[in-house]
Amino acid sequence: MFGALRKKWNRKRLTDERFAFLFEEDQSGEVVVFDCETTGLDPKMDEIVSIGAVKIKENRILTDEALHLYVRQEKQISYKSITIHHIRHCDLKDALPIGEAIEKFLYFVGSRPLAGYYLEFDVAMINKYTRAMYGITLPNKQEEVSAIYYDKKISTIPQGNIDLRFETIIDDLALPKLRAHDALNDAVMTAMIYLKLKHTRHL
Amino acid sequence: MIALLDRMKEHLPFSLLEQDEWKAIEKSAQIVYYPEGRLLITADTRPDRLYYIIKGIVEARSGEELIDLYHQDDSFGGIELIEDQEAHCDYRVSEELICYELPSELFLELCSSNDTFKSYFFSSIVERIDMIKERRESAAMAEIMVARITRSLLHAACIVEADTPIVEAIGRLEAERAAALLVKNEEGYGIVTDRDLRKYILQREEEGLTHISQIQSYPIISVSEGELLFNVQLLMTGHSIKHLPVLDEEGEAVGILTLIDLLSYFASQSHLIGSQIEKATDLEGVIDASRQIDTMIRALHFKGVKARYIAKMVSEIHKKMYTRLFELIFPKSWHENAALLLLGSEGRGEQILRTDQDNAVVFAEEFEPEKREEILLKFTEALDAIGFPRCEGNVMVINPKWAKDAAAYREDIRNWIEAPDGESMMDLAIFYDAYAVAGNVGLFLELRDGLIETAKGHQTFLPHFARSIESFESPIGLFSRFVSLDKGHKDEIEIKKGALFALIHGVRALALEFGVTKTNTTERIKALNRLEYMSRSDATDLIEALEVLNNFRLHARLEKIDQGRVPDNYIALEHLSKLEKDTLKEAFKMVEQFKKRVAYHFHLSMVR
Repeated sequence: MFGALRKKWNRKRLTDERFAFLFEEDQSGEVVVFDCETTGLDPKMDEIVSIGAVKIKENRILTDEALHLYVRQEKQISYKSITIHHIRHCDLKDALPIGEAIEKFLYFVGSRPLAGYYLEFDVAMINKYTRAMYGITLPNKQEEVSAIYYDKKISTIPQGNIDLRFETIIDDLALPKLRAHDALNDAVMTAMIYLKLKHTRHL
Repeated sequence: MIALLDRMKEHLPFSLLEQDEWKAIEKSAQIVYYPEGRLLITADTRPDRLYYIIKGIVEARSGEELIDLYHQDDSFGGIELIEDQEAHCDYRVSEELICYELPSELFLELCSSNDTFKSYFFSSIVERIDMIKERRESAAMAEIMVARITRSLLHAACIVEADTPIVEAIGRLEAERAAALLVKNEEGYGIVTDRDLRKYILQREEEGLTHISQIQSYPIISVSEGELLFNVQLLMTGHSIKHLPVLDEEGEAVGILTLIDLLSYFASQSHLIGSQIEKATDLEGVIDASRQIDTMIRALHFKGVKARYIAKMVSEIHKKMYTRLFELIFPKSWHENAALLLLGSEGRGEQILRTDQDNAVVFAEEFEPEKREEILLKFTEALDAIGFPRCEGNVMVINPKWAKDAAAYREDIRNWIEAPDGESMMDLAIFYDAYAVAGNVGLFLELRDGLIETAKGHQTFLPHFARSIESFESPIGLFSRFVSLDKGHKDEIEIKKGALFALIHGVRALALEFGVTKTNTTERIKALNRLEYMSRSDATDLIEALEVLNNFRLHARLEKIDQGRVPDNYIALEHLSKLEKDTLKEAFKMVEQFKKRVAYHFHLSMVR
């Protein structure tokens, strides 16, 4: 109920009409799974380093049109985040300015629903820029995969503690682990989790 | 690049593709999820894409019959696409599937731009096996190429000061039994080997040689610790030197590597172990030397030596070991009056990695062995110490059933054949496979010939004996059996029950009928060919199948030992490539054909 209202307000704040499509009814039947690699865990302070995204249509992950963007960095990337993402400054040669990257991402996503692991964070990262650039936050429907996992899991162990770590979910669902941890590979893995969960009634 | 594609790159035939071809795949491949039971390709329709399995299992059925199973990293649909024809089978997901799908246009493009890629789809099993072998061999080669100098390979260096009198220095060389003398100069070492001493003997008068530094070779050719043995070998043969000083980071000598040690490292250690065993003067010496056998087997296997040849080598060394144990433990009076028998796989000369102790003793009639229990126990304990686990079925010399005189065995043989039951069949099989390794071999040969004669005289016996080949079902035809039903062994097959047992026992039954005295299964098959029971090509096929099964078994056992697990006869399918699985299936198929042949030969369908 409030969702529709909030969407309306959001729409009113849109300053750039090129992105009106974000608010249209989605006709594609697709879902976008995405993941951001960032310089840290604070959306206010930290920056996006790269964005990986894939579309899911029915039972397939459209890896043939996957999106993998690197973002040009103004600040030095901290040593700690380099050890996590293995993205060094030299990897960012083909990187785009953040504005361009966000634009490409929005065109890719359209009005499709979004899914992700700890999606709230990734959406907050994107919103930080869309708010500044176009006055809006992402209006798309959002689905948190760890929440879907939790719901299916809780029916089997009602009182249990459910471990929601990414690695644990991958192991539990017997999905292949990818060695590389970059935004695109994480998005692909999350997409596999999403597909498997959508096809499983109980875990 | 998505990491899943990286994995695909490592598997044939995709490993044959070039960089730009991968770019094309990246631009058009999709990851697809299918739940269990989904029909992917219907028989008599044309597939429109190539499937590559990331996870899950797909079965191909023609009607009810299971034709093939596809696992992780296998692909299917390729041949139909290239031939532009209908599929012969239904392809259905039998375990939840995640796969890559390549559209047919892309796949056909790859086939037209890359001939080796395309021809892979039409290569025979044999060609594919060769491709695997090549890969294994290069891995084994690589292992040798990366071996480095370690201190265990070195002789201690005998280091003397430059002004040491020559005779004193030689005295130290002799006392320390060193390979060569290293002379410590103000700057760097010099070396004195036998060759330099020869020069000293001939020229000491005329040249007035007194100090060791006067006859040294200086400066020396040396290497640093940790150098690749491969480079070292090139260096030594290149300079034709037999002694090479090895220095640490500070340039201090840590030891001397001799050419003989280096070459024997590259060659197998079998000769060395064998002579150590023969020279051992006490039990400890035999035990110590025998313990090295496993290391040798590992080295040989990873050098790509076939299981059959390793088994041969191991069985030669084991014979030496048993002979020496017999001589050292059994009293003199036994030597003429007892025969030590090796049973089971050891008797057949097919033991590779140590399995159980399987042995027996035959005493001459009317011979009264003194301290019999004590001595037989000592023998068993020596084998314990070397690392042979005791036989669960208690087929060992410490069991009175397997340590008695010839008359008692003769009685057994008659009972086995005239009143056969499950246990006696097994005993007979064990005894027929026995090999007399030490002592009075004639005692055993007489018994064995008697056994063959008695078996021939009882026409109804052999079919009963052969029947147990049907006690385990092969995983063939029913490919789902390829996946073990045993919970603890998911996705594994039991290679011994599944195939090896039937092959070995079928050959044994035929060999017994034809009076073959060889114990080794390969030799028995060859004998059956010579006796014109079996054509040459049938015999070759059967030997090949045996070889393949044994190789897989050895490899799996070695891997389990490496991982600190108990070696068993299970083979994990997950780690096998499509080719390896095909090879295995082919071997199972041959065993299945052979079983039918044996069943027909002995009219097993009529035996109750």
